[in-house]
Amino acid sequence: MVIGGGIAGIQSSLDLAEMGIQVHLVEKLPCIGGKMAQLDKTFPTNDCAI
Amino acid sequence: MLDAGRHPKINLLSYCEVEEVSGEVGAFQVKVRKKARYVNEDLCTGCGACVEKCPTTVKDTYNEGLGERTAIYKYFPQGIPSTHCIDAENCRQLGQGKKCGICAKVCQANAIDFEQQDQMLDLEVGAVVLATGYDVFDPSVIPEYAYDRIDNVVTAMEFERLLSASGPTHGHLDRPSELALRAEVAVLEKDLNKVSRQIDRLEEKHGKKTAEFLKEFEAGKAGEDEDFERWATLAEKQTAAEKVLAPLKKREAAAQTAKNLAFIQCVGSRDFRFNRFCSSYCCMHSVKEAMIAHEHDNQTTSSIFCMDLRAVGRGFEEYKLRGGKSSNIKYVRGRVAEITEDEAHNPIVWYESTTSRQVDHETFDLVILATACVPSAGTPKLADLMGVELDQNGFFKTDPFAPLDTTRPGIFVCGCAQGPMDIPESVAQASSAAARAAEVVATVPKAAAGGGE
Repeated sequence: MVIGGGIAGIQSSLDLAEMGIQVHLVEKLPCIGGKMAQLDKTFPTNDCAI
Repeated sequence: MLDAGRHPKINLLSYCEVEEVSGEVGAFQVKVRKKARYVNEDLCTGCGACVEKCPTTVKDTYNEGLGERTAIYKYFPQGIPSTHCIDAENCRQLGQGKKCGICAKVCQANAIDFEQQDQMLDLEVGAVVLATGYDVFDPSVIPEYAYDRIDNVVTAMEFERLLSASGPTHGHLDRPSELALRAEVAVLEKDLNKVSRQIDRLEEKHGKKTAEFLKEFEAGKAGEDEDFERWATLAEKQTAAEKVLAPLKKREAAAQTAKNLAFIQCVGSRDFRFNRFCSSYCCMHSVKEAMIAHEHDNQTTSSIFCMDLRAVGRGFEEYKLRGGKSSNIKYVRGRVAEITEDEAHNPIVWYESTTSRQVDHETFDLVILATACVPSAGTPKLADLMGVELDQNGFFKTDPFAPLDTTRPGIFVCGCAQGPMDIPESVAQASSAAARAAEVVATVPKAAAGGGE
């Protein structure tokens, strides 16, 4: 089980799922994405965060 | 995000909270509360027809309160899962007991379910990864920065939303004071229009213009009619409202976007009154924001006020220098003592430059506070539930030689839940925590782990 659907939680879940392990990703807000989804562009390439 | 939502091995439990944890490494039993969305996830297509018709608007937390959303909403446009949700507290029908149900009427998929209840889910898992992130420090507790008194002092996250093309200003750097002004003008105009419409109806009914009527009324020649008193009051109201509105509209028309920006570093971190630790990512965050602002409008100039600019990662120093050279960024070494405001709502920054050894002040259009990264509000409660310890700063406690292991076997931590860090570091830690969790699950016999991670 992964608690928190921000960038760390999503990455962790994906890695575990790729290893063939069943993951429950628990997020308290209605959508996953966390703080990073609020960022306009991300450092250092200035690419869109979403 | 999309990949996580689609992966067959990931059971995405959004709008859920962990309530109880028991068992031990390899076989934890977890109770999770799935909060009622009042929208059937399987039926909702995410079309947004309900949002268009919902009569209630509230401040939007995704946009840091700078924008508005309706009571039925999607957290953000590209959100996964692409399902809407009713904020029961603000909903007319659910929270205020009024008759509404407009969303249910317009929903073609029949997905609205006002009867939905919270559900309790029981999960059997082998290991747990805590990735609960952080909260942004609330700068209103620092009196000298006047965050709650001066409109044009914003946090880095608020500035991020102002810069965003999908944000409340569509990416134009409109200042919060101007946004407030616009909202005030809109309210006054709405009132004025209401009065004007009533006057129009009276003019039509009596077949004369208001100016003509007022002349007669004042001279006492208007005669007797039940409407006349009201007409005169309305006319008076209209003139008064127009008088108030005119200068505001003039100011609104003259408003310009923010072009001269100040970034203040270490707000709430490296400050013995609040948090002693360094939040690590804010230096580069401010440089990035200044560069994006310059990219958006190349007239923009920025000053970054810092004790020292910590550009410690690979390529960070070059990025900082590139910002200085090509994006009109000036780095000022010195801690800001106070922020005041002039009549035009421009913030004035008072500081001592430690390079020139002078106390100086400068006026800016907008001040951005690089706020600290603090443990998220739910951390102590979650630590209690999980039976893990916290460190002196309130983040999950780990050992320097095992930075992903909490104090309880089988429970791991990654990202800002462990301490302040930037995105690449969070991602690296997340992959590492996944590997540590996989070790545990792989060594547990399948039957005991219940097939769950």
